[in-house]
Amino acid sequence: MAETEQINMSVKIGRLKLKNPVMTASGTFGYGEEYADYVDLNKLGAVVVKGLSLKPREGNPPPRVMETPGGMLNAVGLQNIGVEAFISEKLPFLRKYDTKVIVNIYGENYDEYKKVTRKLSAVRGVHAVEVNISCPNVKKGGLSFGADPKTAATVTRKVKEVTDLPVIVKLTPNVTDIAAIAVAVEKAGADAISLINTITGMSVDIFTGRPHLKNITGGLSGPAIKPVALRMVWQVLQNVSIPVIGIGGIMNAEDALEFLIIGAKAVQIGTANFINPQATMEVIGGIKRYMEMTGIKNISKIIGTFKA
Amino acid sequence: MKNVYIGEILKNEEIAQDCFLMRVALHVSFPDPAAGQFVMVRVSGIAEPLLARPFSVYSFERQNNSCALDILYRVLGRGTQVMAGLLNGTQVEIIGPLGQGFEIKQNKKNIILVGGGMGVAPLTYLATHLNNYVCSSSSAMYFYLGAQNAEALIGVNELKNLSCTAITCTDDGSRGEKGLVTHILLQGLKKFAPEETMIYACGPKPMLKALAKILRKTKYSCQVSLEEKMACGVGACLGCAVPVKSRNSKPAYKRVCADGPVFDINEIVWK
Repeated sequence: MAETEQINMSVKIGRLKLKNPVMTASGTFGYGEEYADYVDLNKLGAVVVKGLSLKPREGNPPPRVMETPGGMLNAVGLQNIGVEAFISEKLPFLRKYDTKVIVNIYGENYDEYKKVTRKLSAVRGVHAVEVNISCPNVKKGGLSFGADPKTAATVTRKVKEVTDLPVIVKLTPNVTDIAAIAVAVEKAGADAISLINTITGMSVDIFTGRPHLKNITGGLSGPAIKPVALRMVWQVLQNVSIPVIGIGGIMNAEDALEFLIIGAKAVQIGTANFINPQATMEVIGGIKRYMEMTGIKNISKIIGTFKA
Repeated sequence: MKNVYIGEILKNEEIAQDCFLMRVALHVSFPDPAAGQFVMVRVSGIAEPLLARPFSVYSFERQNNSCALDILYRVLGRGTQVMAGLLNGTQVEIIGPLGQGFEIKQNKKNIILVGGGMGVAPLTYLATHLNNYVCSSSSAMYFYLGAQNAEALIGVNELKNLSCTAITCTDDGSRGEKGLVTHILLQGLKKFAPEETMIYACGPKPMLKALAKILRKTKYSCQVSLEEKMACGVGACLGCAVPVKSRNSKPAYKRVCADGPVFDINEIVWK
C-alpha cells in the first residue's frame, strides 16, 4: 500500500489545481446534488455544473432524448434555473465539498455572458467558468458564437474582461476547422479549452414518419463520438499551447487515458454518468490501477506521451 | 451512499403477446420501493442498449436472504427487444427505487384505480399497499382496467387476491365491458362523492388525457403516473420533461423521473 500513497494524480489547468484529471461534463451531472447519493463529490477533480444563463430557461418541449447506436441524442435546450438561483440555492451545497466547482455559462449575447460571469466572480466557491459557445439546441447565440473564430474570440475576450477566474472555452465540433477556433480563443485570452460538445444529429421514427426529438435535431453523445472527439482534441493540441480538456464518449479509464496520452490535461465524463452513476469513480480508480500496473508515479508522465 | 444493484433474472416470461413479466433477484439491502416508484434496468456488460430503461415496480417481495422485484414490459423498441431475449440467470444492473410515488391518503371512502395496458403495473403494486387499509376500514377499492382486447388485458388474475372490485373493459368487447376505460369510469363516477374519493391512474397518454378532460371541472382528486423517455433516471439529464401549468403563459417543465413519475392530474398540461 505504501506504493499506492506515492501515486500523484493531480493536474493543473493553468492556475486551477485539481486533485485528479476527472471532471463531470456540463449537463450530465445536474448541479452536483443529483449524484451526491451515488458519488463522493470530494473525490472528483472538479464538478462542472449544468450550463447557466442570466435568466432561468425552460428548455425545449419533449421528447428531448433518444438512444441511437452507441450513443444518445439530446435536445434539452439549456433548461436551467438561472445564475441567481444557482448562487442562492445550489452553490451552498457544493461549497461543502472539497472539490473544484466549474460553472458552465451561456448567453444569448455578449452582454449576457458578461453579466453571468460577473455574478459568478463575486461569490465564494466558484473556481472557474467554462464558456459554452457551442450548444447545438438553442436558436439564439450558442452555436453561432462557437462556429466562427471572430465571435468565439469576442465572447472569450468579453468574459475575460470581467473576471479573474480561470476561463475555459468549450468548443463545438460542428465546424469546418476546429483548430482555427481554438487558436482564436487562445489569442483572445482563454486560460484553457475544453472539447468536444455534442455532434449534431437526428433520428426518425419510421412508423410515424416523425423525428424522435421534438426539436428535430439534437446533440449526439456517448461512445459513438469518442474517435471523433479524440481526433479533434489532437488537432487542437497541435495548434495551441494552453491546457486542453478532453470530452466525448469517455466511458471508462481506458478511454480517459487515450485523451491524456495525446496531451489532454484533464477529461470530462458525460453520458457515462447516465449509464452508471458511479462512472467518474470508476474512471479515477481505473487510472490509478493503470498507474500502479505500469509503475507510473506521477500522472504528468502520462500526459502528452503520444508517439505519432 | 446509494448503489447500483446487480440483479439476477429469475423469470422473464411472455405472459401475453409482446408482454413480459420479469422477476429479478436483488440483494437484501435493496430498499423497499414505495407504491408508484420505478427502477432503471440495464443489461450488464453489453453495448446496446446503452441507456438503462425505466420500469414501474409491479411487485416486490422480501425474503430471508434476498428480494424479488417484478416488472411488466411490452416490447416496443430496441431496449425491450433485447430484454425480451434474456435468459434466466442473466445479470441486470438496477438503479432504484427512484422517483416520487403515489401519495396514499387513508381517509377516503372510495379508492379508484384506473389503468390502461401496462399501466396496471404501478397500480397493482399500489393496491397491495392499500389492501390492509381497505380490509380494516369501511373504504372500498375499485380497479378499472382497460386494454385494446382480451389478449392485451394483463394482470387481471393478480387482482383476485386483493379486496377490490375489478371492472375490466376492452376496446373491442372481447373481455369485460366494451369501451374505453375512461368511458366506463365516467358511467359509474356519479356514485362516488368527490370529497370521499381518490383516483389513481396510469396508462397511455391518450387515456390519461381523456381522464383529465373528464375530471377537469369536477372536484375529484386524481394522481397520475407518467412515462417519458429517460437517460439518467435521477434528475440530471433533464430528458424526461413534462409540461406543467405555470403562472405565466410560458411553458414550464418538470422531470418525470425526479419530480414524478406521479403528479396531480391538474398540474399537467395535456396537449
